[in-house]
Amino acid sequence: MEGMTEAVRTRGLVKAFGQQVAVAGVDLVVPAGSFAGLVGPNGAGKTTTLSMITGLLRPDGGLVEIHGADAWAEPVKVKSSIGVLPEGLRLFERLSGRELLLYNAELRGISREEGAKRAAELLRVMDLVESQDKLVVDYSTGMRKKIGLAAALLHNPAVLFLDEPFEGVDPVSANTLTEVLRRYTASGSTVIFSSHVMDLVERLCDWVSVMSRGHIVAQGPIGEVRRGRSLNEAFLDLVGAGGSGEEGLSWLGSSSG
Amino acid sequence: MVGLFVRLKLRLIAGSLKGTGQQRAGFLFSLIAGLLVALAGFYLMAGLRTLDPSTAADVGVVFFSFILIMWIVGPLLMFGLDDTLDPARLALFPLTTGQLTRGLLASSAVGVWPVASLFAMTGVIFGLARSVTGALIGIVAVPVAFACCLVVSRLVTTALSGALRTRRGRDLMAVAVILVVVGSQLPGMLLNQGLGDGLEIITRTAGVLRWSPTGLAAHAIADGGLVGVAEVVAVALFTAVCAWLWIVALKAALTRADSSSQGGGSVRRSRFGGLLPEGVLGAVVAKELKYARRDPRGRVTWISALAVVIVMIFSTRNNTGGEPIVWMGVFPVWLGGLVVSLQATNSFGIDGRALWINAVVYAKPEALRADLAGRHLTITLLGAPLICLAAVATGLLTEPVWILPAALIGVGVMGLVFAVGSFTSVYFPYTQPERINAFTGAAPGQGGQAFLSSIGSLVGGAVLSLPVLIPVMAGHLWVSALMPVLGFGLAWPARAKASVIGLRRMPELMADVSRPT
Repeated sequence: MEGMTEAVRTRGLVKAFGQQVAVAGVDLVVPAGSFAGLVGPNGAGKTTTLSMITGLLRPDGGLVEIHGADAWAEPVKVKSSIGVLPEGLRLFERLSGRELLLYNAELRGISREEGAKRAAELLRVMDLVESQDKLVVDYSTGMRKKIGLAAALLHNPAVLFLDEPFEGVDPVSANTLTEVLRRYTASGSTVIFSSHVMDLVERLCDWVSVMSRGHIVAQGPIGEVRRGRSLNEAFLDLVGAGGSGEEGLSWLGSSSG
Repeated sequence: MVGLFVRLKLRLIAGSLKGTGQQRAGFLFSLIAGLLVALAGFYLMAGLRTLDPSTAADVGVVFFSFILIMWIVGPLLMFGLDDTLDPARLALFPLTTGQLTRGLLASSAVGVWPVASLFAMTGVIFGLARSVTGALIGIVAVPVAFACCLVVSRLVTTALSGALRTRRGRDLMAVAVILVVVGSQLPGMLLNQGLGDGLEIITRTAGVLRWSPTGLAAHAIADGGLVGVAEVVAVALFTAVCAWLWIVALKAALTRADSSSQGGGSVRRSRFGGLLPEGVLGAVVAKELKYARRDPRGRVTWISALAVVIVMIFSTRNNTGGEPIVWMGVFPVWLGGLVVSLQATNSFGIDGRALWINAVVYAKPEALRADLAGRHLTITLLGAPLICLAAVATGLLTEPVWILPAALIGVGVMGLVFAVGSFTSVYFPYTQPERINAFTGAAPGQGGQAFLSSIGSLVGGAVLSLPVLIPVMAGHLWVSALMPVLGFGLAWPARAKASVIGLRRMPELMADVSRPT
């Protein structure tokens, strides 16, 4: 880790919702320029962690640094350098895809002319030209993820946070998304995305952080975390997967009716 | 199968008893309201016995027609809330259309409101029948009319179920709700306007509604003769035809491809966007103007604001018995200004779960301040012309001299509500459900916040306007020129202060406006 610039570092990040501790002291590290995957079972605290890093959820304790700047104390430095695609596809439903991008550009202080140019290019790359004047409320899941990613990329952020960007996305759209992200990281920018799909993380990422029950249980270059196993096997070992489910269900598959 | 459907409906009702406090309170409310409607309806209808036969018959006819209208409108408003209304929910079960028809019909007869309306309708037998044959006809006519209500209501929901599952259909329904609410105020307004006394209106209305299916049934009971029998037979035939149409519609709804995922059309690109200033302010104004037009919540807000203003103007005219006083020319416009700007008391509510898009950008209070200013500017752009029109209309109905003072006061008071609303927007934000509910404008558990912020801003704006309002009332009309100065002068520093607080509270603010509904 010596000499490596870190795009993201958190120290002792904690968040509890009432009695339930969602994130219990997370020390996440992501080197600059990496394509990083944040993996973990449901309820591990991935979304909560990403929300706290991006300033959408107030941490109960701990520190978030993005390229050395404290995300909660110096928002002016941090907010212009990050792009976010949160979970749940929450967008301005009554704007068209194109209007959503132009709105984002204007909010970010990009001139109208430049905003329109970037929006047009992003719409073309994301294959959304045909539906650019349709309302987002009428978009499919894949289209929403693509327009969300386009909006997050519009101001050319140094670090991009994506929460489950591939969930519910068809293979064609997923391919478009990965192509765009690959190009983006190749230029030295950083992507951090959460996912359940181990194959995808294994294929795309050079850095992986594994979360379980509110903690980071392993993180590092993907080869180090895998140690010769497939990422899926390594993951199941790390999070301590339960029984094989062979007990019970004896009736299942034994009849034709 | 009928038993199964009835049990399903009972389970769904029981389920609302196990829910949150809000749901239980809602069920209790509808139970008490249903009981009241049943008893009051029965009592009033039975009490028609004391009136002369023709008047009694007219009231009965109007009542029966009203019940039918409620049966048509009610389930449409409940669509999506009552799981037995949408045939598509049951499409995957191996049921024949016959089983489904009987089951759905039975389940729609179960519930608080069906029982309440049947009970209230029974009162008509006592109130209208003036002969033994009339009572006998009534014993048949009431169940026939009730069956007619059930079948017609099912026919309408089934026929529209495809449309109601699309986004456009639901948007239209949301606006229809407010039109129904506004429409229900019309009779009262007409009465206030003195367009004939109440009895005359009922007689005239009954003359038309007498030919509605349930109106015929009511008339049959009053008639009590052969005509009555023929009328009951006609209603029964009508019900049978509707039942047949319903089965046809049900078959179609179960086999037709689901249209709910089909997208809507394209929107026109804005032609005036270029006129707005570049930056946060312009972006927010452009977005808010689109939302006022495209979001059903935006449309409902503006239609109801318009309705309130119109009602206010009419009620002033109604009071001009003696010499008009300044209050009559100013009050409707002043109240209109308060009501129109009330949407600024929860500025971020309409963004809801999308507010993060702004939150990840705003790093300085200035940005949030421009955002708030953009929202206020939008309300002013749409509301100020409306207020000026209201001032002109009120002035023409009272004293034209008051037009300008009233307009200044109406527009100025908007600024005062913006000032108070800037603070309520950041301190008491609440979620505006995307599905519009007639009873509350907030998510479950946030009713208190919604009440506090809207009543607080209303009272706050009203109190702040007193220093100008009192001299104007006393006859110093020129003081009204100070209202816009006061209003927008206070709104300016209020936005500056509120934006600092809002930026600090942003994560909490986002959580408050994106509660599940």
